[in-house]
Amino acid sequence: MKIAILSGKGGTGKTTLSVNLFSYLEQATLIDTDVEEPNSHLFLKGNLVKEEIVYKKYPLVDDDLCNYCGKCGDFCNFNAIIPAKKKILVFQDLCHDCGGCAMVCPNEAISYIDKEVGVIYHTQIKENKLFLYGNLTVGEVSGVKIIETLKESTKNAELLLIDSPPGTSCSTVAAIDGADYCIICAEPTPFGLSDMRMVVELLRAEKRNFGVVVNKSNLGNDDIYHYLEEEKIELLEKIKFDREFARIMADGELLINYSKYFKEKMANIARKVLGDKDDQ
Amino acid sequence: MKIAISSLENKEFSKVSDRFARCEYFIIYDHDSLSFTAVINTAKDAGSGAGGKAVKILGDLNVDIVLAPELGPKALEALKAFEIRSYQYPREKTVKEVLYLFYEKKLPELLISTSKGRH
Repeated sequence: MKIAILSGKGGTGKTTLSVNLFSYLEQATLIDTDVEEPNSHLFLKGNLVKEEIVYKKYPLVDDDLCNYCGKCGDFCNFNAIIPAKKKILVFQDLCHDCGGCAMVCPNEAISYIDKEVGVIYHTQIKENKLFLYGNLTVGEVSGVKIIETLKESTKNAELLLIDSPPGTSCSTVAAIDGADYCIICAEPTPFGLSDMRMVVELLRAEKRNFGVVVNKSNLGNDDIYHYLEEEKIELLEKIKFDREFARIMADGELLINYSKYFKEKMANIARKVLGDKDDQ
Repeated sequence: MKIAISSLENKEFSKVSDRFARCEYFIIYDHDSLSFTAVINTAKDAGSGAGGKAVKILGDLNVDIVLAPELGPKALEALKAFEIRSYQYPREKTVKEVLYLFYEKKLPELLISTSKGRH
């Protein structure tokens, strides 16, 4: 089973929920797909078992074979390849590595070169617990390739938790791809609700099953609860804000090791999402 | 010689655009026939790489000179590849006004990108 934890708004508690739920479970694999700014590893101490370089391909045009017909440029949806009059321009960072330009080239003038876009760190937390996180190279535009590689590396995991990036763009779509269930980690503020609406729209468009954990539930207002009721979205759990929680997290520690309240919340979420058979 | 100007609307007395590749229209002034033509900028809504796409549109129209408010690095690289020269106009003027400024040699040539590429 694959469970994605996402939020829309940043700072609602995706990573807090992910690392604590992961640590609470007896057996699980966790991937941090927020490759632009990964954080889960700060809370999980394990042994680094593998460093995997992730490459993206971008086109290389052979000027001797090219007749400047322009078909590659017409095909590219991202304007990564622009045929000028005596030269083909390639903007590496715009390329989405789809392979289309080479397919439409009638002269076989296009080949591809690898470009390093990031690294994936494989860490062993306990004997049966694996945690992987990706790190996008600074200056690179898209982390999708790294997220796809993270998903591919863990495709056989029995229970996979996916700590997802904020927002609702390509990275998030890649992170929730193939997820059996999604947990939206929301906060009851106007900003939190507004961004959560976009996530709900995304998850409905992608036809995912999902429920909501309201974090920092004693802050903000009640609008989020009215919204969940109106939209008939399951409220999985409410977790209060506590300065002590913030202090423990700031020390890089796991809340389940310090708070009975928090551990019970994790147990409840696990029971609701995974069913009783997986109850720890 | 053809000169392209980034514009908010489709007339020679329209205001110039604050953005080069995501402007509404390109007004093309043909120096030989002394005529103005408006071209809808289809690069405007490109998800990415509007700069390169806009230059490609102008290059295909055989434009020789571009008057722009600023240029990102990709637009500048593409302009070089199409051998199009570019000059920077001040904001808040009309298309015709910046064209006069160009002919009076009052516009500086854009040789380095003046804005960071945006997405």
